[in-house]
Amino acid sequence: MALKSKIVAGIDIGAATAKAVILNESKIIASHVIPTGESVKKAAESVMKQTLDKEGLSMNDISYKIATGYGRRAVSFADEVITEISCHAKGVNMLMPDAQTVIDIGGQDSKVIEISKDGNIGNFVMNDKCAAGTGRFLEVMARVLDSNINEIGSISLNGNEPCQISNTCTVFAESEMVTLRAEGETRENIFAGIHSAMAHRVVIMGNTVGFKKSVVFTGGVARNIGMKKFLQERVGMEIFVPEKPQIIGALGAAIVARNKI
Amino acid sequence: METINKIESQLRFRLKELKQAKEKGKKIIGYVPGGYFPEELVIAAGAIPVCMIRGGDKAAIDASLAYIDRWLDTFYRAQIGSCLSGEDPYYNIIDILFDPLTDNSNRALSDTLAYHTDIEIFPFGVPHTKDESAHEYYLHGINRVKKRLEELTGVEITSDRLEEAILLCNKERELLRKISLLRQSDPSPLDSNHFVMMNHASMIIDKKTQIETLQAIVEELGEAAPNVKEGPRILLTGSTLAWGDNKILNMIEDAGGNVVIESFAEGITPYWYDVKTTGDPMKALAEKYFMDRAVPAWFRPCNEMHKNLVRLAQDFSVNGVIWYQLMIRDSYKIESYYFPEILKKETGLSMLTLESDYDPYETGQMRTRIETYIESIVR
Repeated sequence: MALKSKIVAGIDIGAATAKAVILNESKIIASHVIPTGESVKKAAESVMKQTLDKEGLSMNDISYKIATGYGRRAVSFADEVITEISCHAKGVNMLMPDAQTVIDIGGQDSKVIEISKDGNIGNFVMNDKCAAGTGRFLEVMARVLDSNINEIGSISLNGNEPCQISNTCTVFAESEMVTLRAEGETRENIFAGIHSAMAHRVVIMGNTVGFKKSVVFTGGVARNIGMKKFLQERVGMEIFVPEKPQIIGALGAAIVARNKI
Repeated sequence: METINKIESQLRFRLKELKQAKEKGKKIIGYVPGGYFPEELVIAAGAIPVCMIRGGDKAAIDASLAYIDRWLDTFYRAQIGSCLSGEDPYYNIIDILFDPLTDNSNRALSDTLAYHTDIEIFPFGVPHTKDESAHEYYLHGINRVKKRLEELTGVEITSDRLEEAILLCNKERELLRKISLLRQSDPSPLDSNHFVMMNHASMIIDKKTQIETLQAIVEELGEAAPNVKEGPRILLTGSTLAWGDNKILNMIEDAGGNVVIESFAEGITPYWYDVKTTGDPMKALAEKYFMDRAVPAWFRPCNEMHKNLVRLAQDFSVNGVIWYQLMIRDSYKIESYYFPEILKKETGLSMLTLESDYDPYETGQMRTRIETYIESIVR
């Protein structure tokens, strides 16, 4: 019973992936990421089960569960729901207490969050309701050049003359890419241009909040090494990426859950 | 509160009442919202004022695209769409539409309806600064309104008739003010959805009926225990809060927020000041409706609006400010960049800015923004 009372979970149901983190006091004992797929409800149940299985735990062992992400309300077994913006701030604050800014780019949206001294949100800004500046944008661009989404970041690093991409609207940028490809531009330069344009957009949006040291990059797109490089160039300071940037929202939810018991 | 339900019912049956009144020869006088049209003139002419304040419908926005560019304020596009598609029955029963021209958005409404319909459109100018010549210009405008109403109804708007109408409208403002001020207590005894509905009703339903209802509400609130949940107190401000655009209030409430005071260019009756009952009543109307009116964002300079919002935030002890503007309303968009710094400096409060085009697909992100904001200011 003593063990049970200290184990909590955070579940982050994003547009592209579902994540879960199980926390025992301040230690992450299990985490898992799966594609969200067609049903957010099923994704929540599945990612929770697979995370529990890693440590041989059952749902009864978890004393408090908090759901976050765009599908948070579909997590029927959660005790509470909290927005992903609050959770990313909490998760980053635990991993890097001196961090003051979070850039979170997920499948459907991007956010820049200011963390106050007490680890809460100071201010935040979120992209408008379109795919520009999100993981979805990169997915579409990767498909145009028949490339793997997990490789386009490294490919972009080899672009010695990034193309000028004037549009970050997904539809228009796709047309620009088709034109550049027809003109014989290398895919390295095209992907460098795409990453640079997207970083530019995210940084312009984030300037309303401001970038203060240290800056941490989270969300699925933070796994993209090219995006980190171009964001660093635009922000003008080093950007840190946690070991598992995708689970930071779920981690934040678990931290809040821990504070509830 | 039972009386609140009564307002809902009165709003539902208002159209039928108006049709019956029209059949009996009454003139139905439409006006564009914004707080610059003195209803007193219509009442004194023996006619019925109706504000064209309905909004929030995506279908009306879609319908407007056949008549106007999409780069126009959402509310006014919705008016164009709902009128020209024939979907808004209020546009079918008005005898005239008075439009106090405040910015390019409602000028576009006037011009578009004048071109495409046979509704008589009567625009008159509202100055963008407060000085003596502007005051005189506005007075000239409402004198033109008075003359046209007299021609239309065949009723002379005498000083006696006007003073009687002023007393009636002052009573309504006094009651709205009294109810609103009750919300300075913590917790507030009334939720914002109800107060906003009272405001919309004051622009639509019969004045005497509305006064009786508001009086009953004041009495009920005096007797009833506070009935509102705890939660961060919010000032909700912005360009337009239309009748039917309930999304924002519902989402704030769902997120645990508690709107205790509202300030909008369109959608909230300017109830803070009464019309003076001494001296020339036309001059008194100009004084109240133009000089006393808390200025909207299109006014030059806009400091008075900033000061007013800061004062409301302080007087109603709010924990946060939510700025809800409609798309392509440049004046509000511009101020939304300046005002957060002023607010922070004067009160220490943060502000959340939201923008709507009456599109249901905004809901998910808007909800996340509101919930995050409430989480960040929660007491």
